[in-house]
Amino acid sequence: MSSIVYSPLYFLYGAKEFFSARRGREKLRYGFFFSRLSVSKPPLSLLLLLLSSSKSKTLPRGGRSCNSSLSISLLPSLSSPSTKPRKGNGVSALVLHRRRPPAIGSTSIGFLSVRCFSALTPELKSTLDKVVTSHKVVLFMKGTKDFPQCGFSNTVVQILKSLNVPFETLNILENELLRQGLKEYSNWPTFPQLYIDGEFFGGCDITIEAYKSGELQELLEKAMCS
Amino acid sequence: MGVTKEEVEAALTSKLKPSHLEVIDTSGGCGASFAIEIVSEQFEGKRLLERHRLVNSALEEQMKEIHALSIKKALTPAQWQPQDEPKEAESASH
Repeated sequence: MSSIVYSPLYFLYGAKEFFSARRGREKLRYGFFFSRLSVSKPPLSLLLLLLSSSKSKTLPRGGRSCNSSLSISLLPSLSSPSTKPRKGNGVSALVLHRRRPPAIGSTSIGFLSVRCFSALTPELKSTLDKVVTSHKVVLFMKGTKDFPQCGFSNTVVQILKSLNVPFETLNILENELLRQGLKEYSNWPTFPQLYIDGEFFGGCDITIEAYKSGELQELLEKAMCS
Repeated sequence: MGVTKEEVEAALTSKLKPSHLEVIDTSGGCGASFAIEIVSEQFEGKRLLERHRLVNSALEEQMKEIHALSIKKALTPAQWQPQDEPKEAESASH
């Protein structure tokens, strides 16, 4: 349980690692500066909310009714005027709603029309770039790893658990923008979506196939060593 | 609401020209969940992920209504052949 509770911290740590891997020493300072700077700003707190949501809810009941709380709590910040995205720093530049007309997000009904727009803003894309590379294995799923809310997601969680690899999960039911954006990001219409070593690996069927053939174990081993 | 088995079959047939296609409605009638077995020459030389992407894009329109799509098999005709025999036996027992 504790490993899940601290998942946002892990993420931040991972993001920083990512910076140091990607940038030179000087640019690391720059990246660090920005990520420090943005702690007090809404965009990163939004990201934190988004991430911490994956650990928070061990809900007694299944079903969609439980999932709306985060979306609703995001609404005020989504409908507020957008800050200008800072170029070149994905972590601080999470502005989920830049392309969206202001009307959307004012009520939860607004989410119904999300599909009409491109949910994958450049900001969300660069954030997702960071998220999928922050850990070796990242699973975008319905529910949490301790409480999957979909049979397919559960299957993948059980496979990963049985292989004894550390993995992070994000509950896409708690953020509709993330959910829609990810479909475009991965070019994949359904969940769960498994990322290994920053690359989209597949959905449930592919994971099962690869597990049966031993390909998944092989790939995971390789990923853990790299 | 939902998508019929026939619509899914028609979309896959027209786009992927499968030599074998089996669409099973696993939704219990509401048309939101399907399991698919498909054999197509277009899968030749493609990884499983790419094959699934082909199926997904062939069903792009339908996917808006479909809640869950399970691609049980996405094989090339050559891969399908060896499995032909036991498969016949299985479907005969239904």
